[in-house]
Amino acid sequence: MTLAGTVAGIAIGLTMLVWVVNLIRSDRLYVGYGVIFILGTLSAMVVLAVPPLLRAATRISFVLLPEPSLSAAAIVILTFLMVYVFIQISVLANRVMRLTQELAIRNTRQGGNESDTERPR
Amino acid sequence: MSMSTAPRHRTLVAIPAYNEAATIRNVVERVRLNLPDSDLVVVNDGSRDSTPAILDGTDATVIVHLCNLGYGRAIQTAVLYAERAGYERLVTLDADGQHDPAQVRALLTEFDSGRWDVLIGSRYVLSQRYTGVPFGRRLGMILFSTIVGLVAGRRVYDTTSGLRVIGRQTFSSLTNWQFVDFHAEALVYLMRLGFRIGEYPITVEERRHGSTMYSAFSHIKYPLKTALMVVLGVVEASMTKRRRT
Repeated sequence: MTLAGTVAGIAIGLTMLVWVVNLIRSDRLYVGYGVIFILGTLSAMVVLAVPPLLRAATRISFVLLPEPSLSAAAIVILTFLMVYVFIQISVLANRVMRLTQELAIRNTRQGGNESDTERPR
Repeated sequence: MSMSTAPRHRTLVAIPAYNEAATIRNVVERVRLNLPDSDLVVVNDGSRDSTPAILDGTDATVIVHLCNLGYGRAIQTAVLYAERAGYERLVTLDADGQHDPAQVRALLTEFDSGRWDVLIGSRYVLSQRYTGVPFGRRLGMILFSTIVGLVAGRRVYDTTSGLRVIGRQTFSSLTNWQFVDFHAEALVYLMRLGFRIGEYPITVEERRHGSTMYSAFSHIKYPLKTALMVVLGVVEASMTKRRRT
């Protein structure tokens, strides 16, 4: 890969990292999914930055894929799409969690020694 | 949230429970016996065994998660409940019977000294060693204890203890941010916000029933998630402090 290609790949990776970390921080992406994306992106960046690793990966991709560069582009696009899908799942999961917590508190079954305590609303 | 009457007691003891049928009744009874001047709530975190039926046979206040949300969210529900009901402090205890409720009194006395915002019942603060702990777990404990020391400026030896006294002043911070398991990431977040976290020595009994909530896979995932949340907690705490000023 050319130097420009490597720089572009690392730039994409850094953008991805910043995006994913910001999504986790703002509670729009579940930290468990985020960790997977961060590890995947970091691994890809290491492969891009270390020439022997990149050569090995290229050899493998030539064997596995007929058009490695196009396939790489497809993988990048698919990764971004996956993050988008996981954001939607995380947002839904967050809503379900908040709903479950609110329902649980509203439907609290009062026990013996809290009979004179009003249920939180 | 408005309340027309204050809670009867200042202290709420919260027990998060997930599939703890073998121990939950005993834990509830021991809390009642040892802490009669505290209110008790069990957060049933979507248990699929006979935990709900057993809790029906006790006089404990029960909050039921319709599905399993995880330990961190169960604690957060208890914090939300305590905040809205006007409790001054929240004590969290594990449902597996490892914690002796009789030791909570000493913790509460220390907490009442006013030196702490969160006081952790610590298994390791006296010896400052993790003897008898399996290698992998010991490694994790040393790692996160060191990280907390480096990032927050004060080492916490037992970051994973389930026995804690949490002061009301921290409630809103704990419900406004996400946590994995209320372990190192929550401690760092609170410490960076300026809250005082202390440790008080306790002893724990061996778990006799059930198994740990951590699977083999989570032994890999947990440190990664917690480490990431520690970093994000530092960032979030700084941003929160900046917003406040």
